Amino acid sequence: MVDAVRAQPAISTRGLSKDYGSGHGLFALDLEVERGEVFGFLGPNGAGKSTTMRLLLDLIKPTSGSASILGLDSRADSHEIRRHVGFLPGDFALYPKLTGATVLDFLAALRGGVDRRLRDSLAERLDAELGRPIRELSTGNRQKLGLIQAFMHDPELLILDEPIAGLDPLVQQSFHALLAEVSARGRTVFLSSHTLSEVERVTQRVAILRDGGLVVVDSLENLRKVAIQRLEIEFSEAVPVEQFRDLPGVREATADGRHLIVAFEGSADAVVKAAAGHDVRAIRTHEEDLEEIFLRYYRREGAS
Amino acid sequence: MSWPVFKMALRLRLPSTASAAVGLVAVLLVVGALFPAVGHSFGKLKIPKGVADLLGGADYGTLTGWFRSEIGSIYGPLLIAAMAITGAASTTAGEEEDRILALVLAYPVKRTRLIAAKAGAIAAVVVIIAGAAWIGLIGGVALAGGGIGVLDLGAFSVHLAFFGFAMGALALAVGAATGSRALATGAAAAVAVIGWLINGFAPLVHAIAWLKYLSPFYYYATHDPLTGGVDVVDLAVLGFFALALTAVAMVRIQRRDLRA
Repeated sequence: MVDAVRAQPAISTRGLSKDYGSGHGLFALDLEVERGEVFGFLGPNGAGKSTTMRLLLDLIKPTSGSASILGLDSRADSHEIRRHVGFLPGDFALYPKLTGATVLDFLAALRGGVDRRLRDSLAERLDAELGRPIRELSTGNRQKLGLIQAFMHDPELLILDEPIAGLDPLVQQSFHALLAEVSARGRTVFLSSHTLSEVERVTQRVAILRDGGLVVVDSLENLRKVAIQRLEIEFSEAVPVEQFRDLPGVREATADGRHLIVAFEGSADAVVKAAAGHDVRAIRTHEEDLEEIFLRYYRREGAS
Repeated sequence: MSWPVFKMALRLRLPSTASAAVGLVAVLLVVGALFPAVGHSFGKLKIPKGVADLLGGADYGTLTGWFRSEIGSIYGPLLIAAMAITGAASTTAGEEEDRILALVLAYPVKRTRLIAAKAGAIAAVVVIIAGAAWIGLIGGVALAGGGIGVLDLGAFSVHLAFFGFAMGALALAVGAATGSRALATGAAAAVAVIGWLINGFAPLVHAIAWLKYLSPFYYYATHDPLTGGVDVVDLAVLGFFALALTAVAMVRIQRRDLRA
């Protein structure tokens, strides 16, 4: 591809919408994914993640708005875009009677051939079974074929819908390593999930989608900053709980005899310094799971 | 047309096509072998004209009539239409329902070229069946004692093939336009059966006799290829419909959202 195109964001959407009626679909999505990012696209089932991916690949047409992929228009230049994109559909399916190897050969031929070594090394790393008919494979083993076909032509952009679904923990590790490698080589990865824990180790930024609308786009680091931490402090004798309630950032403080539990946002400094005025026996931390932050975004929208 | 798509579509249809072709040859040989024994007594049956028209004249007393009624009027077109219709419906709408098309069309394959490749594969299936019909007829006629020329048998097979092209293209068009395998199979099968009935019954009622021109069976069977050779006009009509319906399939799938 020409250099001018390289400078364009990997994905850029403007008011991208797909209205399926009765409130379902995707509404006015404005999203930008930079080159070389591993970007997590999160949301509960039915939030519009797969719809977005299908729009980007021109499998379905938008009701309004537009999208550009690698600087190319998602509708007019779709054929060219698909040369440079690897796609794993959320409900990945293949000809059940054929073996994995046969189907991969077919898919490689659709691209006019791919580097056989890359395909074989992917199969080896993911421990894929290429010799058996697809109908005999477990969900996880089928998903491996889906990953191989998405990665096997070393695409500029990977669009992966629920890639981790069904993979066992060891294969998940191989997959994470693979993502880190392609990202280090400047490739862009746009992957969806309905749980944050699946992607938090591999993504730099995430977008959270709910009911077809974008709720938040931020780095994981920033999302963690607003996380609520809990400290459980054990003192040698009971302490006045009011002293902790009024500290900056503290949301809640409860005492049960010599045990104090403080929930706070941001820095732990004020809480620790206040505790230091007493005889502290033990401190236990309970960091809020990122999952909880994520669920809070879902709920906040739901409540309004 | 996309060669990988053509090869894959044909590969997936080959096992059923091969068994249908072998079965067809076997049936034709048996039908031919039976003629000397039962043809003459069947020939004395008095069959009402309407039923006789449905059965290709029901002229069981002659070898040509025997094959026209036993194979030409029902079994041959039924088999080739079934293979073409189920093949076309499953290679388009079926793959879409099975979520395979959503993956294939995320590859650099244009939808028009995908349809062209699928149409080509179904045409190949039809040619294989029609070729088997020709081989089976040559053998069957020989077992019956001879009497129909190899070229006339070939002409019959060509008419059969063009009938298959038209029926397959109809299923392809409905399948590409709707993404529904059931609708594609059902619509094309309904046209085949209604066409068969219209071609048999419409000529009996003067006021609706013109309806026969709407039936694909009219162009397939009326100008009997077993005695008259190929009818270029009939083949042109069937061929035109096959190509036009394939074009419809290309246009419709282009403008449509792929099923989730």
